[in-house]
Amino acid sequence: MKKMMFLMLALFVGFSASAQSMPDVKIENQEGKVISTRDLVDGTPMIISFWSTTCKPCIMELNAVNDNLYDWLEEVDMKVVAVSVDDARTLSRARAMTQGQGWDDFVCVYDKNQDFKRAMNVSLTPHTFIVDGKGNVVYSHSGYTPGSEQELFEKIKELK
Amino acid sequence: MKKFLLTIGLVAATMFVANEASAQIKAGEGQVSIALESNNTYYTKDQKLIDAGIYIPGSQDSRTKGDFGSNDYLKVDYNLGRFSAGVQLDGYLPGLFGYDIYKYQQRDSKMTAFLSKYVQWEDKNWGVRLGDIYDQFGNGLIFRAYEERALALNNSLAGGRAYYNFNNFVNVKVVAGMPRLYDVRSSNWVYGADLALSISEMTGWQNGILSLEGSYVGRHQNDAVEEFGMIGVTTENLNMVSGRLNLEVAGFSFRGEYAAKLNEDVYDPVMPAKKGNVVHLDLGYNYKRFSVSATFRRQEYMTTPIEMRPLSIGGGNSMNYVPLLTRQHTYMLANLNPYRGTSIFTGGEIGGQVDVYYSLRNKKARGKYWNFHANFSMFNTLNHENFGMEFKSRNAWIDFNFDIERQWNKQLKTTFFYSFQRWDEELNHFDTDHADYCRSHIFVGDVTYKFNKKHSLRVEGQYLVSGDYEGDWVAALVEYNFAPKFSFYVSDMWNWEPMDENYSYASEKHELLHYYQVGATFTHKFLRAQLSYGRNREGYVCSGGQCRYQPAYTGVNLAFTLTF
Repeated sequence: MKKMMFLMLALFVGFSASAQSMPDVKIENQEGKVISTRDLVDGTPMIISFWSTTCKPCIMELNAVNDNLYDWLEEVDMKVVAVSVDDARTLSRARAMTQGQGWDDFVCVYDKNQDFKRAMNVSLTPHTFIVDGKGNVVYSHSGYTPGSEQELFEKIKELK
Repeated sequence: MKKFLLTIGLVAATMFVANEASAQIKAGEGQVSIALESNNTYYTKDQKLIDAGIYIPGSQDSRTKGDFGSNDYLKVDYNLGRFSAGVQLDGYLPGLFGYDIYKYQQRDSKMTAFLSKYVQWEDKNWGVRLGDIYDQFGNGLIFRAYEERALALNNSLAGGRAYYNFNNFVNVKVVAGMPRLYDVRSSNWVYGADLALSISEMTGWQNGILSLEGSYVGRHQNDAVEEFGMIGVTTENLNMVSGRLNLEVAGFSFRGEYAAKLNEDVYDPVMPAKKGNVVHLDLGYNYKRFSVSATFRRQEYMTTPIEMRPLSIGGGNSMNYVPLLTRQHTYMLANLNPYRGTSIFTGGEIGGQVDVYYSLRNKKARGKYWNFHANFSMFNTLNHENFGMEFKSRNAWIDFNFDIERQWNKQLKTTFFYSFQRWDEELNHFDTDHADYCRSHIFVGDVTYKFNKKHSLRVEGQYLVSGDYEGDWVAALVEYNFAPKFSFYVSDMWNWEPMDENYSYASEKHELLHYYQVGATFTHKFLRAQLSYGRNREGYVCSGGQCRYQPAYTGVNLAFTLTF
């Protein structure tokens, strides 16, 4: 079994590398309308962060990004997309939380069937991606330690 | 131990691979992405747990299959424009102790793997998927096929799904397939259709959203009448319907769903089969940085198994989703006795919960703010009959909690959390006519201090006060972070003043049993790995509104994820 996994891994490492483009799946926006994830691509580089109401480090990370956002915007053009993977049970809580945590500068979307999460191959949250203006995924990071938001900013700056 | 070392070897090898390979992989015109998640535990013998009578070797809740457990998931996807295809290999080698999959494997004592696969075409207005389907209708009250790795649950349908969207006015979806039950495929069929009409789009109403939705779901089990006719099953085809209304206007939102199970269905093979129904209402309001969200639900006999057969145990044997709606706490002591629902014994429940959020912010200093959050939840049992006895509705659970978060400056952040919980201990075990209420007050202080851009320290202190049940508990956690790669933590919790079963303080001098954890997390490029060692308390582990019973154990855990 392990051998099989390892073989599969080794097999795929043989492929050549290039930037991956963001998959096209359906999610809901803040108003509850169904939109396509490709609609998020509008020429502006973005941080896409997967979070849920029961994931404390996710909320810490998004709060840290929110605290720094205006400083960052002085240097680069960017946006932050907060993708809630909350299911029907906590979806309304997630909607309330984005408002009540002051995340009004974020683009908040809701992936209640976790199609976007699966398509982006997210296993554990928080999982954060940097996507350039054309929709290419250029960086990803899983987990949060206070201060690691600086790395996101550094990567976004490299896109300039 | 050998396997555990092998796993560590595998991590080292994959780290090397991750360093060598670049993030994305291109195959022809399309792209391949790979994600591996592996959770491994090496269980060590803990004489203290045995002496305390908490872990009893040879008992129903003891380990019977060696010293090692591993839940692994390898997912490989290929994407080319609107086309995608993929496989997922789940390995339980054997499954981790305390998961329902482990109990399943125990029956025939083997390691198992499960392969799921799909091909999909996603067009602008329509889509088709063949293979393993993950989907849900509305809140999932009559149908939800999903994966929850924290509980090792996966009830995806092997079959097909198609949808068509006409101008955003009408969305039609159909699904059919055979559900997965842990590591086997059920021989039952589940099928359904969902229709959503957007009234606001049709009428060109710009100021809000109004939509009407309806679903049908069926399940076919061969010989159901023959096997369960004695307890009231009258058909091999179970039918369920749901109707929904969603309205959003001027900061208000309303989402309502009514669903019904139209035929008698087995929810416990020793009980009479029952029809079911559920009402679910969500109300929301937000104005600037103030928001309120309230949920009400009344449900009766709605949990619907994939298989009615008696051996099909656990939360994984469910084709719909009727989760617990109380707040899922993240602090250790607030989670000591989580609400686990009463419907397993009493058939149903009625109740709800309210969340209030407010953020107080200074426009000039963005790094300074207050966040306030309060939550209240309450659930009661329903008037019901059990073994010919009548039971009156009574309170099963109350939780009032709030947290106040203060970012003082760029360095310092503090959180204060309080929760009052009251539950009926009788209902956790049986359906009885008398209550046994236990209460606890939980206090938590949580401080994060950032020394500079890379170094930070987080400390948690927790205290649980209780005059009944287990008495007082204490917990503490210290975490040191070295951003962005390393994090180290150590935590401990213990029953400060244990009580006996009559809720009086144990008279004999007792030895404190510490539930300690020490661990480290490492993140680099596509790898995230966590290594920890500790003693774990027996209790309920909840995720996504469902709980599983975890017996006590001590062991070394290595978990890692790898994404290409």
